[in-house]
Amino acid sequence: MAAAPMPMEVDSGNGVLHRKQSIYKSLDESFEIQKEMYRGQQYSQIYFARLHLMRTLLYSLLPTWKPHLPVCTVLGLEEGKECIIVGTIYKHMKLKPSILDEYSKERSASPLVQPHNFINSDDYLVLEDESGRVKLRGTVLLPSVYVTGIVVALQGKETGAGDFMVEDILEAGLPHQTELPLNSGEDKYVVLVSGLSVGSSSANPLHFQLFVDHITGHLGDEKEQGIAAQIVQVIIAGNSVEYPRGLLNGQNLGSKDQSRLSEPIKELDILLTQIASGIPVDIMPGTTDPANFSMPQQPLHRCLFPGSSAYNTFRSCTNPHSFELDNVRFLGTSGQNIDDLAKYSDAKDKLGFLERTLRWRHIAPTAPNTLGCYPFTDRDPFFVEICPHVYFVGNQDKYETSLIKGSDGQLVRLICIPRFAETGTAVVLNLRNLECHTLSFGTQLGL
Amino acid sequence: MASDMKGFFRQQKKNKSGGIVKPKSSSKKNSSASDVVQPPALVSHGSFDLQDEYDDKEEVLRQFDVNMAYGPCLGMSRLERWERANAWGLHPPKEVKDLLGAGKVNSECLWGGRV
Repeated sequence: MAAAPMPMEVDSGNGVLHRKQSIYKSLDESFEIQKEMYRGQQYSQIYFARLHLMRTLLYSLLPTWKPHLPVCTVLGLEEGKECIIVGTIYKHMKLKPSILDEYSKERSASPLVQPHNFINSDDYLVLEDESGRVKLRGTVLLPSVYVTGIVVALQGKETGAGDFMVEDILEAGLPHQTELPLNSGEDKYVVLVSGLSVGSSSANPLHFQLFVDHITGHLGDEKEQGIAAQIVQVIIAGNSVEYPRGLLNGQNLGSKDQSRLSEPIKELDILLTQIASGIPVDIMPGTTDPANFSMPQQPLHRCLFPGSSAYNTFRSCTNPHSFELDNVRFLGTSGQNIDDLAKYSDAKDKLGFLERTLRWRHIAPTAPNTLGCYPFTDRDPFFVEICPHVYFVGNQDKYETSLIKGSDGQLVRLICIPRFAETGTAVVLNLRNLECHTLSFGTQLGL
Repeated sequence: MASDMKGFFRQQKKNKSGGIVKPKSSSKKNSSASDVVQPPALVSHGSFDLQDEYDDKEEVLRQFDVNMAYGPCLGMSRLERWERANAWGLHPPKEVKDLLGAGKVNSECLWGGRV
């Protein structure tokens, strides 16, 4: 019953322009939680699953790293003995907001919650495994770089004080990647956009309409339409709607307010229908969308999109979202994982956080500590098994991109997608060579 | 000197009939001065009531529960935890699986339903 997309037919001098197509394969299965059963378990199980998974991996890397050193558990450490320990990092942060602070009788001079970053020079790292925990010392590990939840191997020895002096660290590194024949074939483009915030007062509906018109080929001359015909996929990485917050104050809504509440999603559906009628579009939930709160966020329900879900080109996806397009592997989120890292650690730019998560082989190490997450018992879906070719994060302040290399020749295009409502900018990626550029829309009305 | 001390610190009351004397009840309600944990009448089947449905099969299962090699035990049934340990190549003792299959044992871990 799904309508097929209409080929983009444009009456130009040369005849009809056809849109290019790509083979799509969804890899979101591990992020779906329909089969999970909640039995009152807490988060100890997901931490154990993560530790087991990554420790097995790290043990396999030890022979090439430091083959002559023995491996101990934390409880098995002996003073002065050089060895390797593997465990989960915990970062003790003085400024990390704790619910217990509300109950403390002594209020400190600093405010209870600081919105941006909780780093302090007093932060220290602890390594933990099933047997125990040990405080980490030394200059090799900078607390501002690491966060709670990463599993690493450390080389060093126990000090007289009972701490562990770190001499070297082994991270899991980039996983294996299937090789891509680069620069072969034709140009095919993927458009990535996020933070549409339909319904918010700051979003200019004209910008998004311009965007839709451009990519569906209703704008511009033959040359521009030719470029638009090469777009094979649109990815909307979260925060597509923004609800008027004043309405959600716990009070019963009158019918007028109720219709105000449903307006943003209706408006979004109209725009998505226009896109879906011409190009395959994937929509991911974000923090402001009507989806569940904890990661992995489940796909937005089809009933929210009565118009666009009629098309088989419309796909509602999970957050994180993983898929393959013509064998190019994509992985990305709507921003919660990177934003949480930015609160609890420091990096030169957002790309730095992106790169770290890949090298730690875990896209959301702070889950479930400070990032809401489902309490899985037998797996950790945020562990990266296969290296993506394109790794993106949505809802960032500005557009950033870089290409990183792994020790086994892996090549990954990192992309920070800016919020469209604020910047009017979308990102365009060429599948042929993984090159990126922006697509900006503005309406300067002659000020 | 010792004899002086003895005379100085009286070991026994001088007069046994005078002074404050507590009335002695003829029937003793319980042998409160005994060292035994439970009075003999309450000991059943020759063993103490400390056992509490805890036999050696349960003991084996409880040792499996607290063994940290297989991860935390709360939030999963014992069989699920065994299956998970098996799937991850941790070689959990087969004896535990047999006991769980035989029935009449607690399917939840020792803290199940109590935490």
